[in-house]
This record gives sequence, C-alpha cells and structure tokens, in this order.
Amino acid sequence: MKKSQNSKVKLNSFDKSFSSDVFLKKPEKYREIEQFCKETKNIITMGSNYSYAPLSLSTDSLVLDIKKFNRILYFDKKKKEITVEGGTKIYELLNFTLNYNLWIPQLPGYPYISLGGAVATNAHGKSCGLHGTIKKSVKKILLYHKTHGWLNLSEKENKEIFELTIGGLGLTGTIVSITFNLTEFIFTEFLTKKKKISSISDIVKNFNVQTKKKRHMYSWNTASDMKNFGQGFIFESTPRKNSNKISKIKAARKNTYNFPICFWNKYTIKAVNKIYFKILDSKEKETNESFTSAVFPFVGKENYFKLFGTKGFIESQLIVPNYALNDFLVELEKICKVDEPLITLLSFKIIRGDQKLIRFEGNGTCITLDLVNNQKNQRFLQKIDKLCIEYKVLPSIIKDSRLSKNIFDQCYTEAEEFREQLLKFDKNRVYQSEISHKFKL
Amino acid sequence: MNYLIVGASSGLGRELCYTFAKNNNDLIICSRDLRDLNALKSDIEKKFNVEVETIVADLTSKENVKKTLMNKNMFKKIDGILFPVGLMFEKDKVNLDIEKIDKLIRANFSSIALITSTFLSYKKKGLIVGFGSVSGYLGRELNTYYAASKRALESYFESIGFENKKNDIKIQFYTLGYIDTNLSFGKKLILPKGSTQKLSKLVYKNKNKKLKKYFFPNWWVPIIFFLKILPLSFLVNFNIFKK
Repeated sequence: MKKSQNSKVKLNSFDKSFSSDVFLKKPEKYREIEQFCKETKNIITMGSNYSYAPLSLSTDSLVLDIKKFNRILYFDKKKKEITVEGGTKIYELLNFTLNYNLWIPQLPGYPYISLGGAVATNAHGKSCGLHGTIKKSVKKILLYHKTHGWLNLSEKENKEIFELTIGGLGLTGTIVSITFNLTEFIFTEFLTKKKKISSISDIVKNFNVQTKKKRHMYSWNTASDMKNFGQGFIFESTPRKNSNKISKIKAARKNTYNFPICFWNKYTIKAVNKIYFKILDSKEKETNESFTSAVFPFVGKENYFKLFGTKGFIESQLIVPNYALNDFLVELEKICKVDEPLITLLSFKIIRGDQKLIRFEGNGTCITLDLVNNQKNQRFLQKIDKLCIEYKVLPSIIKDSRLSKNIFDQCYTEAEEFREQLLKFDKNRVYQSEISHKFKL
Repeated sequence: MNYLIVGASSGLGRELCYTFAKNNNDLIICSRDLRDLNALKSDIEKKFNVEVETIVADLTSKENVKKTLMNKNMFKKIDGILFPVGLMFEKDKVNLDIEKIDKLIRANFSSIALITSTFLSYKKKGLIVGFGSVSGYLGRELNTYYAASKRALESYFESIGFENKKNDIKIQFYTLGYIDTNLSFGKKLILPKGSTQKLSKLVYKNKNKKLKKYFFPNWWVPIIFFLKILPLSFLVNFNIFKK
C-alpha cells in the first residue's frame, strides 16, 4: 500500500477493543473511490464507525470513509422505493421518508449509523421479531470492487454477490448505494406498555404468549442482584397516530470526551440499576413515547458507553433458539451466580429470520449483555461460548469482538461456504478488516 | 434567483450548493464528473424543491470551457457565479512539467477569468464570488504555480471590482486559509481549519455587498499583515505555510 503519512488517523472500534493508527481516505467524488482503490492493495470501507467490533478498521488496509456519500439518488413515492448512497445515516433517510409516511422498519437503536454499514452488518432493531433484519428491505445495491469495478446487485442481478454482501461485513467491496423498498408508516408515536417481572423465567412465559401479537417487544433486566436475578420490565410498543408531526431527528453532536476510568463496578452497577428500576417502576403502566425515543433508545444515553472508560466494554448478543431458551437461561443464571460478572445491561427481544452465511439472524430470542472489559468477565464469557455450542446459540460477531475463530466456526455453520464464495468472487481478497483477519474470511 | 456554481461536486462547492438551495435558489452546477453532478442534483432537488441543471466541464482545458460554459442563454438566466474551485499538484515547484503548469494556471485563474469576462459582457447586474488562498500572499518552496495563479486571481477580482463600480455587480473575494476539505485532510497544520459550512453561510449572507474582500478563517488577518511587513530575506528562513 502506498502509505502517505498525511492520511494516518487514530481510530478505535466502538467497544474500544481495537485502537490504532489507520490509513484513512475520505472520497467525495466517484472517481476518488476508483482512484484510492487503485493506489492500494487492501481496502475496507467505513460508514460511521459505530461498529462495536472493528469491522471497518484494519492496520493493513486503506480505510475508505464514505461519509460524504450521503445523498438521495432516487425516490418514487408510488413505488415506495428510495436509492441512497451508502454513507447516508439512518436519521437522514428517515427525516426525508417520514414526510411521505414511509420508512424501513428494521432500524438499529442508533440513528447515526450509516445505511451502508447497516446493510453490511444486516442490522436489526427492536422490532426484529416482527420485521426481521434490514435484508428484507434491500432491493438493489451498487457495489464498487477494486478488481470487478462497478457491480449492480439484486435478486435478479449478481444474486450470489448480493447474498454475500448483505451481512458480509463489507468484505465484498464498497457499498456505494442501496435501493430500499419502503414500508408505509402512518403513525407519529408509540404507546408503550410495561410489565414488571420478578425473574428471568418470567421472560420465557411472557415472550411465548406475546410472540403471537404483532408488537415490538423487548425487556430490561437486572443482572447485578443475584437474589432477584432477571427482575425488570417487559415493554410492548404499538405505533399510534396523533395530530402532531414526527419531529426531525437532529444530527449527532460531536463528543470526543472519554471518561478516563471505568465507572462501572459491583456497587455502581447495583446502585444505578436500582435507581433505574425505581424510575421505571414509578412510571405509568402505559406511556406515550416519541418516535425517536421509542425507535432509537440509545439517543441521549451515549454517556453510558463512555462510562466504561478507555478500556471499553464487551457486548455479547446471542440468538437462542426457542426450544433451548429455558435450559440456556437456567445455565446462564447458574454461571452468573457463581462468577458474579459485572453485567451493566441485560435485555431480551424476539428475533425472526433464516440464518445464512455469516449473517446474525435466526428464529428465537435475542439476548444482549453488556459487560465491563476485565479478565473475570472474559472468563465468564468463555463459559457462555461453550453454552453457545451446546445449545446451538448464535453469538454476534458484530457486537462481540472477543469471539474466537473456533467459536465462530462452530456456531456459524455456513462460515466455510462464505469463505469459499468470497474467495471465488475475489481471488486476491482485497477487502480486509481486523475481523476478517481474525476469522480468516 | 439562479446561480452557477463552478466546482460544485465537493468541499466548499458542495456546501455552497446546499446553502444556496436551502434559501430557495435554483442552481446550475458544474464539475468534471457527471456521476457526482447527478448525485448532487438529485439530492438537492429532492430535499429543497429547487431546480438544478448540470454542466460537465473541465477548467483545465480552454476548448472545453468554451464549448461547455460559454453559453449566452445560460449567462442571461443566471444571477451570479461562484468559483469554489482550485487545482493543486503535490510536486508543484518551479520546475513543474509545462503541461501541469498550464493546467494549474487555467483551472485556478484563466478559465475563471474567461467565464467571468463573458458573464460581464452579458450582464450589468449580478454576483461574482472568487476564492483565493493565503498561499498567494507569499511565494515559497512549494505550490509555486498554484500560489501564483491564486495571486493573479485576486488581482483580477480587484480589477473587475473597480471596472464595475458603476454597475450593479457585486464582487466578493475570499482568501482562504486552512478549511476542512479533502485538500487539508490528515495534514499537520499550524493553525486550526475553518468550517466550509460556516464559510458558505458567510458567502450567502454577504451576497448583496457591493465589493468585499475577506479572509477566512479570519485569524489569518494578523498573520498576513505580518507577512506583508516582514522583509522577504527574513521570511525565507521560515517555513510559514505547511500545506
């Protein structure tokens, strides 16, 4: 790679597991994408760099930051179709489409994520039990590949590459533009009902009953109090219409401040969980939530992640098949009681979809755990890894940067097929990230 | 109103397009690559409900400029021209290849002068905005022809300002320091960069002023003042601008 000193920038993954100087270029013109790719051997594309794991970073590749590719290229209200460039942020898309009562329902919890990134990770949101992952809304992709040039991908054109690209972690090339099929959304807010639960087994009961209802469901549970492990709330959101308009989602504020030490420990987690529990408990059983706070729960709560300090955090996200949920949760509780890991967040939601290649998708319950990044928690998660193999649970490689190749290969049964297809498409394996190096993709 | 923006596809040019479109102005956008222009046109039209026309032109070629931009009908319908355009080569030194020298002078000065003069031959009313560089204030070991052509451009804008003092022609000339574009990205600079967004708002705000020269960011004013009063023999020992 032609390494010009003047484009070296220090970047880190969102979970801070990776931090290094990388060679970064910010193309603004179509010919710059072509030119920058020509100049270098290995490339990886970066959207907003909000990936927990270092999916868009590598010390050995040129990082192509496509933030400036954020334009609306085509919109047809009647056909309910929109084409946007890959660097377009979710909020930019919504601020436009919601004017026409249209949206894509598979929205991850943070609006500043780029759509190219969302497609490359096959993102999902709180409503994944209802709407599945973003793959369901993708109609076409325009990809740029150093060797193959400009490629149109869809179910009808280059289908194999289309399949590899969605959830393909950016390893097939740069997603320059995406055409989405939009869905009607005539509502303006959400009615959120809460239900208090006293243990983790309550989740199974409630989720089994609620799955049949067509609503967004998720939970917030505490894992810091071993006597009341799993107590918390289940939330059920239904969209509603009122006379107000959905207010525009504002651009993200630049906040580069990092808390120097980790605020989260046994005592602070317990105390904050207790306070948060009390706050939620004191709220009405039914509340009206604005569009932004219901769909993007992390907006305004960014400091939660900053409080993990410079060492960052670990997020483990798992899809547990329904048949194994009971047994898995019993084991999880057992391990938690023995190891007492520092879990700051435990949350459940339902997810639907067919797992293929290396996509984080499947039918079951999606469990999210946020943990302080320390050795004790790493050991705890190694036990969870073993449970994943035993119960055929799918761990997210997008969220958990700690996962080993061995666990990945055992849990993702089509990993080898992905490798083979990718190699067939790209013999030189041009597009490489830290994650692709680790998993030998 | 209708404005021609030459060099619209990136950096300051792109930002100016959004600022002018946001304020309900139709645009004619000009750049070298139709793909960039089409993307910008589509985005602006959808977001701001204004009309955008595109012109593919290469300012480094006199023939191309004549063919694509010397259009009487276009000049008649526009109310102003903005030139957020600049061409730089990495090894721009005294012994630069003659073809590259020619390209630099055309893109940074003579094509702008040609377009402006043609516009002025059709219109006695309108806005013309040029963008220079602080590097034009002091020749140094690099950016030789870039700096020279930017200095020539400034002089040209002063002249058209004087020549048109009786007409309703508004002339603005911005001398730019470091701004947050791809040209300055990743470079170790001695001073902070100015925001292209702020600059484009400033250009729009000042669009009705008769004749105005600005420095942006304005902390360059005292620096340029000292550069002007210090003897050249003293300055040659210091690498004042790192670009």
